[in-house]
Amino acid sequence: MTGKIIKIATVILLMSFCSCRNSSVRQGGLTFPVADSVPAAEAEKLSEEAVADIVQNIASPVEIAAILQSMQIPFSAGYLASTQEAEKLTTNFRKAVMLGIYGADLGYLNIYGKTGNSVDVLSAIKRLADGLRVGQFFDFETLKRLSASKSNLDSLLFLSVNSYNQIDNYLRDNDRGSISALMITGVWIEGQYLATQVALSHDDEILRDRIGEQKIILGDLLMLLRPYRASSEEYGSLYDMMEQIRAKYAGVKVSYKLAEPETREDKEGRLVMVQNEESIVEMTDDQLAEIAALSKEVRNKLISGN
Amino acid sequence: MKKRLLILTIVLVILPLMASGQPATDDLVSSCVLAAGENTTYLKDFRVQLPKASQDAAVPVYKANMYLMKNMKYRFCVCDSPESGGELFITIYDQGKEIISSYNSSSARKYSSVDFICNKTGLYTLWYSFIGGEQGSGVGVVCMIR
Repeated sequence: MTGKIIKIATVILLMSFCSCRNSSVRQGGLTFPVADSVPAAEAEKLSEEAVADIVQNIASPVEIAAILQSMQIPFSAGYLASTQEAEKLTTNFRKAVMLGIYGADLGYLNIYGKTGNSVDVLSAIKRLADGLRVGQFFDFETLKRLSASKSNLDSLLFLSVNSYNQIDNYLRDNDRGSISALMITGVWIEGQYLATQVALSHDDEILRDRIGEQKIILGDLLMLLRPYRASSEEYGSLYDMMEQIRAKYAGVKVSYKLAEPETREDKEGRLVMVQNEESIVEMTDDQLAEIAALSKEVRNKLISGN
Repeated sequence: MKKRLLILTIVLVILPLMASGQPATDDLVSSCVLAAGENTTYLKDFRVQLPKASQDAAVPVYKANMYLMKNMKYRFCVCDSPESGGELFITIYDQGKEIISSYNSSSARKYSSVDFICNKTGLYTLWYSFIGGEQGSGVGVVCMIR
C-alpha cells in the first residue's frame, strides 16, 4: 500500500513539474534566454537558420492598421475575414493561418476602436487557439470585458498583442515552429491585403512605401516557411504562393540614402534619435496593382481553403 | 478505493486547473508598458536574465533581431525586476553599427527609455545587457509612438 502511495505521489509531482514547465511563458515570469557573449566589435553575421529562429516583428497585427488610421482612412468591415470560416476548420494548418488572419483583423478593429465588433473575432480566435492547444494564452473573458468599453483601448491592445506574442514564443520554444510560421504568415497576408486594398483607392506615399518594403521582409518570411514546405501538400502550396508574391516584387527597387543620425534629449529627459539615413522605394502603379491582386488572391485562397 | 479516487481527482482535475488559472502576463511587463506612456502601443517584450560577466570575458548579452519600419516612431523601454543585481540597458545596432544606446558609459548616464524615429526599414539587432556586466533580470518593451 505504501509503495502505491509513493508511486501516486511521484506521478503527482511529475505532473505538477510538467504543468509548470512552461509556466514562465504562461505566467510571464522571466524566461532564461541563452546568454550570448559576443565581442562588441564583431559584426552581426547570422546564419539563415539563426535569423529564421530569432527574427521578431516580421508581421505586426497593429502597425498596418495604425498607418491606415493615421491616414484617416475610414474603417471598413468589408476588409475583415468572415468569422464563420472558423467553425469549418479541421486541420492545424488552416487553424494556424486563420489564427494569424483573425489576429490582424483584431488589431485593425482595436486600433480603430471598433471594440463592439470584435466579439465575433475574439470568439473565432478562442475556438482556433483552443484547437491548437494555445488557448491558455488568451484571457478571453478579460478581452471581452475590455471590448465592452472604448476607454480600455490601450489595455485591450496590449492584452491582445501580448497574447499573440506569447503564443509565438510558446510555439517556437516547444518545437512547433511550423505552426508559429503559419500564424505569422496569416498576420502578414492579412496586413498585406489591408494595405494593398486601401492603397489602390488612396494614393499615399507612406502606405506605398510600406507595401514596397515588404520585398525586404518577404525573404525572411519565406525562410521561416522553407523548412516545412515538404511536410504537407498544403504547406508546399502556401510556400509556392508566397514565392509568387515575391516574384511580383522582383521589379520593385529599394535603395538607401546615407546620412548621419541626430540625437537629442526631449523635454521629458528622454533620449531621442532621428535616423536620417533613408530607405527609398520605387514601385510603379502597375507593380502595385499586380502585387495587390495576387495578395488578395492568396489571402482569399487561404481563407476558403481552395 | 476512496483515497485513490481522491488522488486521481487531484491529479486530473485540480492540478490542470491550477496551471491554467495562472495569469497570462506578468506585472513587470505590464508596468514597463505603462511606463512607456499614454501615446504608445505595445508591440513586443523581451524577458532578459543574464549572469554576471566572468573575469576577462565579454559582457553577457541577450540579442534579438527585429524589423523596424520607415515612418514609424518606436520607444524602447527597459525595466529591472525588483531582485535584479544590475541595471538593464539596450543598444540598437543596424548591420553591426551601433546607432543608439540607453546607457552612455563615458558619462555614466542611463535612460529608462529611448525613442527611435525610423527612416529606414530593415532588420535591426537589439542588445540587452546589464551595466558593468552585473548579474540581473528585467524586461525590454518595444512600443510604437502614435
